[in-house]
Formats: sequence, structure tokens, C-alpha cells
Amino acid sequence: MAQFGQYTPPVYRRQRIERARPSLKHLAHLKRLFPYAYQYRVKIVLGIVGLIAIQMCGAAMPMFMKTAIDSLAIKDPDILMPVLGIFAVVLVRSFISVYSSRMLQRVAISSSYDIRKRFFSHVQRMGSAFFNRFGTGDVMSRSSGDIAMVRRVIAFGWVQVLTFIFSIIVGLSFMLYLSPTLTALVLLPTPFVAFLGITMSRRLFPMVRERRQAMDDVTSFTSENLNGIRTVQAMAQEQQEIGRFDDMGTRYASLVYRTTKYRAKMNLVMPFISIFSTLLILGYGGQLVVDGVITVGTYTAFFAYMYMVTGPIGQVGGWLSTFTSAAAAAERLFEVLDYEPEIEDDPRPTASSQIQGRVEFCHFSYAYPGATDEAIHDISLTVDAGETVAFLGRIGCGKSTVLRSLVRMNDPAPGMLLIDGEDVRAYPLQQLRSQVALIPQDPFLFSLTIRDNLTYDEPDRDMPPIEHAAQLAELLDAIDEFPDGMETVVGERGITLSGGQKQRATLARGLIRDARILAMDDCFSSVDTRTEERILGRLKEVRQGRTTLLVSHRVSTARHADRIFVMENGRILESGTHAELMMKGGYYADLEAVQSNQDQDRERKAALLKNLDVDVRVVNG
Amino acid sequence: MNTQVDAPPAAPSRDYSAFDAELTHKALNVNMFVRLLAWLKPYRFTLSISIVLTLASAAIAVLQPIVNGRVVIDTILLPDPRSNELPDYGMGEFVYGVADWTGASPLMSAVFVYALLVLVSSLASYGHRLLLSRSTLQALRDLRSELFRKLETKPMSFYDHVSVGRVMTRLTNDVENLIELLTGVLELVGDFIPFFLSLFLMWAISPELTLYTMVFIPVVAVATSLFRKVLGNTYRNVRNAVSSINQYMQENLIGMEVVQLSRREQLNTEQFGERNESHRDYQFHAMNLETVYSSFNNSLITVATGVIIWVGGGEVIQEAISLGSVVVFTQLIGMMIGPVQAVGYQFNTLFRAMASGERIFQAIDWDESIKEPENPVPLPSNVRGRLEFRNMSFSYYMGEEVIHDVSFTVGAGEKLAIVGPTGSGKSTLIKLLARFYDFDDGKVFLDDVDVNHVASVDLRQRVGIVLQDFHIFSGTVLDNITLNNPGISREDAMEAAQIVNADPFIRGLPEGYDTFLSERGLNLSQGQRQLLAFARVLAADPEILVLDEATASIDTATELVIQDALQRIMEGRTSIVIAHRLQTIRECDKVLVLHHGEVREYGTHEELMALEGIYYTLHELQFQDSRIAAELSGDTGVERVQPRDDPTTEEPDDEDR
Repeated sequence: MAQFGQYTPPVYRRQRIERARPSLKHLAHLKRLFPYAYQYRVKIVLGIVGLIAIQMCGAAMPMFMKTAIDSLAIKDPDILMPVLGIFAVVLVRSFISVYSSRMLQRVAISSSYDIRKRFFSHVQRMGSAFFNRFGTGDVMSRSSGDIAMVRRVIAFGWVQVLTFIFSIIVGLSFMLYLSPTLTALVLLPTPFVAFLGITMSRRLFPMVRERRQAMDDVTSFTSENLNGIRTVQAMAQEQQEIGRFDDMGTRYASLVYRTTKYRAKMNLVMPFISIFSTLLILGYGGQLVVDGVITVGTYTAFFAYMYMVTGPIGQVGGWLSTFTSAAAAAERLFEVLDYEPEIEDDPRPTASSQIQGRVEFCHFSYAYPGATDEAIHDISLTVDAGETVAFLGRIGCGKSTVLRSLVRMNDPAPGMLLIDGEDVRAYPLQQLRSQVALIPQDPFLFSLTIRDNLTYDEPDRDMPPIEHAAQLAELLDAIDEFPDGMETVVGERGITLSGGQKQRATLARGLIRDARILAMDDCFSSVDTRTEERILGRLKEVRQGRTTLLVSHRVSTARHADRIFVMENGRILESGTHAELMMKGGYYADLEAVQSNQDQDRERKAALLKNLDVDVRVVNG
Repeated sequence: MNTQVDAPPAAPSRDYSAFDAELTHKALNVNMFVRLLAWLKPYRFTLSISIVLTLASAAIAVLQPIVNGRVVIDTILLPDPRSNELPDYGMGEFVYGVADWTGASPLMSAVFVYALLVLVSSLASYGHRLLLSRSTLQALRDLRSELFRKLETKPMSFYDHVSVGRVMTRLTNDVENLIELLTGVLELVGDFIPFFLSLFLMWAISPELTLYTMVFIPVVAVATSLFRKVLGNTYRNVRNAVSSINQYMQENLIGMEVVQLSRREQLNTEQFGERNESHRDYQFHAMNLETVYSSFNNSLITVATGVIIWVGGGEVIQEAISLGSVVVFTQLIGMMIGPVQAVGYQFNTLFRAMASGERIFQAIDWDESIKEPENPVPLPSNVRGRLEFRNMSFSYYMGEEVIHDVSFTVGAGEKLAIVGPTGSGKSTLIKLLARFYDFDDGKVFLDDVDVNHVASVDLRQRVGIVLQDFHIFSGTVLDNITLNNPGISREDAMEAAQIVNADPFIRGLPEGYDTFLSERGLNLSQGQRQLLAFARVLAADPEILVLDEATASIDTATELVIQDALQRIMEGRTSIVIAHRLQTIRECDKVLVLHHGEVREYGTHEELMALEGIYYTLHELQFQDSRIAAELSGDTGVERVQPRDDPTTEEPDDEDR
């Protein structure tokens, strides 16, 4: 209890939340789940047959009760038959119920399994535009929370609806059999129930959606804040952030409260209508008993059947909210599943199966989706098989885009980018990406062993090529130092590598393929220049006759290339060999001067700065 | 940067594995529950009303079958002479009173009374739900805020060892589980009221028949506990399968580019499929058990009804009790067995929530914190900026000193460059200055005030730190400069951006200063991030600037812009820079060479060059090849690996830890 003294809870205030426009469309999202359940239709049919049988058993029960009570009313001691009947029905019903709910639950579990499977393989085909829109956390929460929600609706949701329908049908038939007048009276309020149910569900949908969003907000805020905790604390902004968290927590709590309140309201209103029926039976039915029209047994049985009809109505609120939440979840799922992959295989790839290594850019232009400016403007150049070329330029000048297009991480328009004279799109993606190795800028390793990371593309490799690649990337010594050598697990569950080690491991992973075309996207930024030179020198030897494209902003890297392309704002500014460019005395030569001579005096640097046209675009690119 | 890390730490002085461990595993941890209840205390008034309401609602609900069975059947439909001897809890009187008063028939009066009971009990139950959910939500909102407050102010040593993911789980999932727990338990209280009331009513009507009914309770209880035991294991398997699925998925999402470049889509889909399958199979298993259990449970009520009719029927014939009483019994039996079953169903939730509660309180109780002075000395509003480190020694782990007896002074307005091979303790020094860690051996003075006597918040407002890694928070560029500090106006922020040359590129962004930045959204280059970091620290206008220069290579033009900005922010401020570039060092007045945690050389650039010592060597290597520098200084030159819970996870640039 002590901690309360120190802590004053923030004032709870009601949040004003704009009410979303009610719409009927939301339940349509659920319709899209049908195809997933359809393949299990045999199980579904069997399950439904079971459900009907259960309802029939349920309906038999009041009849036995009626017989027993009627016997008791006239003091007839012969109630053995109805009691045995009850026991028999219970036995049968429990077996059927185990069987049929297993059928239906299997369908639900299997469908959610299928959805998850499809979700995963779908996400794997997505490109950068997708991941810019849906962050990792977002995709994760859709794959875990939303699929679970959808499973619940498949498992229980529509079973509830079916039970509801059968229960009404069976209850109604027996009621009609017992007393048609009473039945008609009991049915009077049903339309109101339907009307109310639809209205309420419509209102609930935006609430559920907003509530989920609020939770996502809390999660992403917390994640960002804790990941940046050093910054927050260094800038002494803890109190500020705590205040913001309080606000978010309060907003979330008030949204949860709002949905709870609405559900409680549904739970209040729905049974009220069924009560109406109860009162009718109690009053009118009771009168019929007094008048001798029906027996007491019929009267009690009527109650039981009425519950079969009105009982589910009381639960309408409950299942409507399940359906509504599931509809919101399905909407979020299909938002991902409907996202068209940006890059897909040509249905009939025509290109030859062996890439030689000639790369041509023909009036190549590229704009990122949604961007107004082109990242690449009309570049034309040819790289012959076996040649090594370097792209050099400032950040954002388009040099990475050139390399990424080569393996179709970005798709240029047809005919702009040719490998061995064939459009890149004519190659099957599988083949293209296996024969053209791109080593990306950001090093990333999986929490697997070093060996599994190096052989990520082809797990069945022998040790010699692995060691060879590690050797090339100057990683072998480091690996020997690891506790389990090649079998050391890295990442979250293992050891953490330094930035340089990660980058060289990424490099080794690309080199192991010995690809016809190797594209290195500025993959030496965390490696010191001397090591870089050693690696490049060795690569030059082993990659005789193969094409290499490399991106850098260091002259010392670029000079290893046969030809150098200096890029600026998506265009090629200069090109030629190192010697040619030095002779020319342009941008490249200036850059070389700045980079090679660290001990420049300020005036000289300032002059170069001016020369290099450092302006707004310098850091903007 | 070729990173060299500290030696793998020995056992930390504090057992951080405890934070990750599964805790006591007790299904019912009373201590935890009592503490949880303490959080409900501010809402005790609302909560008491809610409990009163649920009592009322339950009591009234129990009376409904009495009206039907005892009044309608026994006195109106089949008048029973013994009816007067059996209790009807005033319902008969009530009904006939209404009949006398309104002149309506007894039957109609009974209908009216019944309707009234239903109305009142539904309303009470509605009120109960609202108040209950309101107070638990508020209490847990408070708890969550308190948890966040505690975590937000934990010292760096905590975050060095505990992964953010685990801390996150406590703030999100665990709190959500507690909401379920509290609502569940409190609703259970509501469920058990009808249990006792029914028991009481039934006992009053017929003790013998009640005993027959009560036989079923231990049966339900035993069956429930047996099933739960079996199911408990299965559910654990399901949970493990879920986390394995999530882990796999998350890693794939983060490394998607590599996956696609390595053409692993097919193989990964298969590997994911295996996890997905085992999850499905465990779910099948759990479901198979669950269906048997629930079918068994559902049958029990009906079997009990049969027993009541059989036994009760015999008594009716022997005229021991009325027919209406038997009807009452058949209707009340559900109210008795229901709650016992509910406990069974709630068991998993309870179990999970108990564990969550333990984790939350463990995090709240985690007593690691920076020692704040009891009576903090306020720093003068005008700090001149003289800094002194006196005999500073420091170790992250017992017995492994990384700083040995370091003393130096930076005069007001002076600029000091700290250089040294990686792992020499440079970053540690500036973290100590910002009081990210507690230190005992040695002192740091700011204008002759011992910083250990100053509140850390006060100190950090005076000492602006630029870390190597610029963390982007979701928000506009402006928000990222001001960090939502209301004391920094838009104009201040823009001015700061202008001074550090960030203004042109910011204006070039689609919406200028209001462009939204996020982790994965718009990509800022290294250089742009560095400039924003400068703008951020400048906007806060600290008296002392501490800068850990980024080591990753940046294109030359950008580097020149950054150098220019750096010079401007250091202007007129006492500055300490961990420098990696000669240009930066040349901007400073003095250079301090740190090696193996000791001050080895100190002086101006010219003085140190003349020494031809470590500085000279580093200079010859252009401050780039730390690997060779390390070799020269007698180290093995081979990179060592870090243990998994080392702070530098995901921070490749942070070299000294």
C-alpha cells in the first residue's frame, strides 16, 4: 500500500472522441474469410449436422420435463421414464457435442493456419513501398493479434450464429406444437431485436478499430522511447515523456471504457426484449393453465422453449461485438493480403539461363513510388562482362538506386535495363538474384550461427567455399576467436558483433556466391580504409573475368575500378578511368584532393567546398 | 570504423538474468494480489458501489425463480396446501400486496413483480459493469504510468543489460493481462454471490434436496482441476509455439531485404510452415481436451436436473415439498454449478495474469537508480563552465576498471579533444560526466560544484550531449529538434537548425520543418542525422557541450558542412569532443590522449606531435585505422566479441560501450 502515498494519479478526464460515421460495410470484411473455410466444407457440414442434433437433444429435454411435471401434478409416481430419458439425452448430446465442436474448431484452427501461412509468404514478396507503409511492429501485430481474433470468429462466431438459428427454429417448432397463440405473442418483439442489433454493431465497429489503434500507439510510443532512452535522458526530457505516456494511457483507457460501456448497454437492452416474452408467457400462459387449456408441464416446457428462442437474443450483444472486432481484424489482415507485390516474375521468362555479365542501362530513369522527383534521370551506359566499374557521388545521388534496380529491388520501366542484352524482367527473379549478388548497405545478420548466416542463400554448402569467402572478407581471424568458431550463434540469442564485423560478414555472404555480377552498395563504410584496400585488392584477383559494380564515396575505393562514374542528382557528371578523371580536373579530382590530403588548411578546404558546389543539395541529395 | 570492444565482462555486480527469468510460477500469489488491490484504493468508492450493485443484482436474480415456482405454480396454478410452510422470501406477500393494491388478478400481479425484479436486477448489473470496468481501467492506467515512470528514469546500467523488448512486454502485454485478471476476478466475485444465495434459498426449501445437488460441486471442482493440470502443459506448448512463430516472423521482417536477395522466400516459407504447423497441432491437442471438458461440464447441469426431478419428484408425491419448489430447484441449480465452472474457465487467464503481475511489480521494485543527492545543490543560473575530473576511477563490473585515476581540467570556454584507440574509455568518461552511471572513486566538478551533489536533471540541462547515434522519434522534424520541450519555441528550433547548416536540407523536405519523420519512413542520411543532432543539442542551449563524434564515413562534401557546423556549436562553450577526425582535433585547444583508461598524453596538437608518442602514431594513421593503432599499443589487434547482453546491441557505432 505504501507506494500510493508517493504517487498522485493524473486526473481522469473524459476524452472527447469524434464519433465515426456508422457504416454497414464493415461486416463485409468477414465475407472474405469464407474461401479459407470453404476447403474444409466436409468438416463444416458434419459439424453443422452435429449442431442440429445437439439442438434436437436440447429440445427433447423440456418434453421429458413436461411429462415428469405433469405426472407430478397429478401425483402419479411414474417418473422413471422421463428421468431416464433425460440421462439418455445427456449422454448422446455430450458425445455429439464433443464430436461436432471438434470438427468446427479444427476448421477454425486450420483456416487460421492457412491464413498465417499465406500472410507470411505474401509479406515475403513485398518491396520497400510496403514496408514504408507498414512497419515491422504493425505487420507483427496483424499477424499475431488479428489472426487470433479472426480464428475466434471462425471457431465460435458463426457457430454461435448457427446455434442461434437452429435454436430458434427448434424452439419455435416445439412452441408452435404446444401453443400457436403463445408463440405468436412471444415473437412480437423479434424485429426490434434485429434492428437494434444492427444499429449497435454499426456503432461499435469504429470504436473497436479506434481502440486497437490507440493500443498500437501506446506500443509504438513505448518502443521508440525506450530505444531512444539515452537521448531522452541525455536531454533531460524524462518528465516530458512521462507526461505524454500518461496522456496516451488515459486515452487508451477511455477508449476501452467506451467500448465496454457500449457492450454493457447492448447486454442491458437485448435481454430486456426477451423479458417481454417471459412476461407474456408468465401472464397469458399462466391464465391458460388456470383456465385448464394447458397443463403446468406445458407451461414449464414453454419456458424452456422460450429460452431457446430468446436466450440467444440475449447473447446477440456478445456475438455482435465478437463479429465487429473480427471484422476490424479481417480488415487489417486483408489490407496486407491485398497489397499487390510491386515486383513479380514475368509469367513466361524468356531469358537464357546463364548470365554472362554484360550490363546496359538504356536511357534509364527511375522515380520512387510517390516521389515527385526522379531519382535517376536518363542514364545510358554499358558495363562489359568482366569489367569493374565504380559509382561515386554524394548521398542521394542515385548510385544505390542503380545497383538495386539491377536485382529488381526497384523496377524500372521495361527496356531500360538489360543484362546480356535481355530486359532484367525477362529473367526469373530466382535466377536473376542468384547470378547477380547485391551486397546491401546496411549489414544485417540473422540470429543463426555464423555459418548459417554466410550460407543463407544456399544452406548446403561445404566448408571450403565458406572459409574462402570469410577469408576474402577478412573475417576468418575473427571467426576463429568466437567461442564456437563457425558454429557461434550471433544476434539476440548469441554474441553481438561489432559494426565492422557485421559488415564484413554481410560482405562474405555476398562473395560466397561467386556471382557473375557482383554489386557492392557502399558496403565498406564501417571498415577502415586499409582493410578495405586489402579486400578490394584480393577481390580483383579472384574476380577475373566477372563483372563488378561498386558504389562508394571514397576515391580510394573507386580507383580500383576500370571505369568510374561520378553521379550527381541522378545524372552522370563525369566518367572515365581514375587517371582520365584526375587529368580532367573536375569534381573527382577535387574530391581526391580533399580526401587524400587530410591535413588541409581551412582556406584550401573552404575553396574546395566552394568548388564542389556545396549548397542545399549537399546533404539533401 | 573497425570496432574494438572491451573485454567480455565478468559476472555483473547485479543479477540481470533475474529480470528475464520466469518468476515464481505460483498460481495464486497472495502478496502480489494484495499489492494489486492497493492500486484500486483511489477508486475504492466507485468499486464499493459496484460491489453493492452486483450483490443487489444477484440477490434479485435469485428471487426470480421464486416468484415463478413458489408463487405462480404453488399458489396460483396448482394451489398447494403446504405452500405456506415453505419459505418464499416475502414474494407471495409482495405479489398479493400488489394484487390488493391495484385490484389486478394475482397472476397479473406476479407478472408485474417479475418484470420489476428483472428490470432492477439488469440495471444493477449494468451499473456494476460500468463502475467495475471504469475503476479497474483507471487503476491499471495509473499502474502503467507508474511503471513507465520508473522505467523511464532507470539508469543506463539497467538498459545496458536488459533488452528493450522485455521491458516493452511488461508495459504492454503484462498490463493488458492484469486488466483481464482484475475484471475476471471481480466478476467472479459477482458470480459467487448467486452461488451462496442459491445455496441458502435451496437449503431453506429442502435441506435434503440441497445435499443431493451439492454432491455435484466437488465433482465439478475435481474434474476442473484435473483437466487444468493436463491443459496447463498443452497451453504452455501453445504459448511457446506462438513465441517461436513471432520471433521467426519478426526477424524475417527486419531482414527482408537479405531474404529476398538470397532467394530464401521458399525455404523460409517452409521453415515458417514448420513452426506454424507445430502451433496448429498443439492447438488441436488443446482443443481436443477442451471439448471433452466443456461437454462434461455442460452435461453436469442437466444430470443434476434429472437427479432433482427424480429425488424431488419422490418427495412431491410423498407430499414433503411442493411442485413449485422442485421447479425452483431446477432453475437454481445452474446458478450454483455455473460459478464453479467459471473458475475453471478463468484459471488460465488467472495463471497468466499472476505471472504478469509478478513481472510488473518486479520491474517497479527494481531498485537500481542513480544516487540522487538528498539535498541537491542548485547550479548557478550562469554556469561559467569550468570542468574538472579529479582522480576518477570507474568499473562497469567489479574488479574490471576501465578508467584508472584520470584527472584533468577544462577551463571555462575551453575546448578539449579526447583521442585514443578504441576501447580506451573515452565514451565512458563522457557518460560519467552526464551521470549515466554512478561513480564512487573520484569526483567531477562543474564550476567547483561536485556533480554528485547536483540533481541529475539539473546537470543534464547544463551539459548537452551529442551521442553518436541520432535517434529519430516519430514526429515532425521540429519535434525531433525540440524533443517536445515546451521551453523551445519553433523560432528557437529553426534558428538552431540554421546555425548548424541543417536549415537548407530541412527546407528541401516535402513539408519542411513539419515533415513527419519515422523509424522506417523517410530516410535521412548519416550527415543529415548528424546535423539534426547538432540542432537538437543547440536548441537546448546547454552551457557545456559534450560530443561523441560519429565515426562512420560520410561523403566529403557533407563532412565539410558538418565540420563547419561543429565549429559553430562549440563557439563560446566549454566543449569536450571525442574526436575521430584530425580537422575536429585542430578545432580544439587541448588534446587528451586516453589509453587503457589512463591519461597518457595531454597538451596542444603541436606539443603532442613533438612528443612522438601515441598521438603522433594516431596522427600518422590519420585517426582511422584503430586496428593498427591497437596493434601498435600492444593489443592483439583481433576484435573480441561481446556477450549477448552487452549494451551495444544494435549500436554498431558506439565503440567504447
